[in-house]
Amino acid sequence: MAALGRVSRLLLGAAAATPRSLPGRSMSAAAHEAGGARLWKLLTFVVALPGVGVCMLNCYLKAQHKHERPEFVPYAHLRIRTKPFPWGDGNKTLFHNPHVNALPTGYED
Amino acid sequence: MAHQAHSYHMVDPSPWPIFGAASALLTTSGLAMWFHYNSTQLLIMGLTSMLLVMLQWWRDIVRESTFQGHHTLTVQKGLRYGMILFITSEAFFFLGFFWAFFHSSLVPTPELGGQWPPMGVKPLNPLEVPLLNTAILLASGVTVTWAHHSITEGNRKQAIHALTLTILLGFYFTALQATEYYEAPFSIADSVYGSTFFVATGFHGLHVIIGSSFLSTCLLRLIKFHFTSNHHFGFEAAAWYWHFVDVIWLFLYMTIYWWGS
Repeated sequence: MAALGRVSRLLLGAAAATPRSLPGRSMSAAAHEAGGARLWKLLTFVVALPGVGVCMLNCYLKAQHKHERPEFVPYAHLRIRTKPFPWGDGNKTLFHNPHVNALPTGYED
Repeated sequence: MAHQAHSYHMVDPSPWPIFGAASALLTTSGLAMWFHYNSTQLLIMGLTSMLLVMLQWWRDIVRESTFQGHHTLTVQKGLRYGMILFITSEAFFFLGFFWAFFHSSLVPTPELGGQWPPMGVKPLNPLEVPLLNTAILLASGVTVTWAHHSITEGNRKQAIHALTLTILLGFYFTALQATEYYEAPFSIADSVYGSTFFVATGFHGLHVIIGSSFLSTCLLRLIKFHFTSNHHFGFEAAAWYWHFVDVIWLFLYMTIYWWGS
């Protein structure tokens, strides 16, 4: 609902030279329009990029252990091959990884 | 010298619309030829012509607007409506795939083991790379907003830095998703779970690539002084599209990755 208001404001505000807020962000009432770029630059380097950094660290730590592969069970609803794929031997999916993806007959390695 | 008594842009005759339609025909029939008759000729012709039409049509629009000044406020208003309608149509496109996901996951059939994720499917941990991808796209939304404000305030250097950062984040997301696709223990052929997962995230990834290309074109134009502080609709359209891509990811993350695991 708020998006509609923002959208029509964006449309009607086409003539105005004042900076606009983009959808998804609301500026505080106290923030001056002229300092807009400064605010978003600050948010970039204090919140956004450190947030990415923290998530990167989390991924790196989680990836250190765990390498078990589930044993192969020939379920009928998995590894469906109604029609050969139009590439290669027709039996491997586009992002086939022999280490973690089994073929209908089992793991290759 | 002839003058028009209105503020609209009567576009000169152009071959791109019909060539675009022809390339769509070549591409679709090319896909059918590839799938059923193992031939890629038509498909390659279709994709090549599609790329050429896009480059030349959009090049012409830049010429008409930036270099010839045809984009009055009225024209810009029409373009805004157009972009909003287009993005809305894309939202409906994704809605279909979300519908498919919920149809299959809310009432898992006996063939799947009556559970979701289905028996034998080990879903990706939503708190690992998917969470990083969420942070990346949210961060890129912040950087593109920084870029927009920089453009409006006439700060060229910061605008270039901010837009470049946005594009780099977009590339990082794409690279991570590609590795996720390769490392995933399940494939598209693994029951309706695989179908819904890879079709929904796959189309999203395609839209990230399209959005990154759009932003990259804006960066090039920004560097070449095409934008002014109060007329830069191409950039705004790219930013809207990018926010849309971010929102779709948030829905994907919350529903397929998190709820669906």
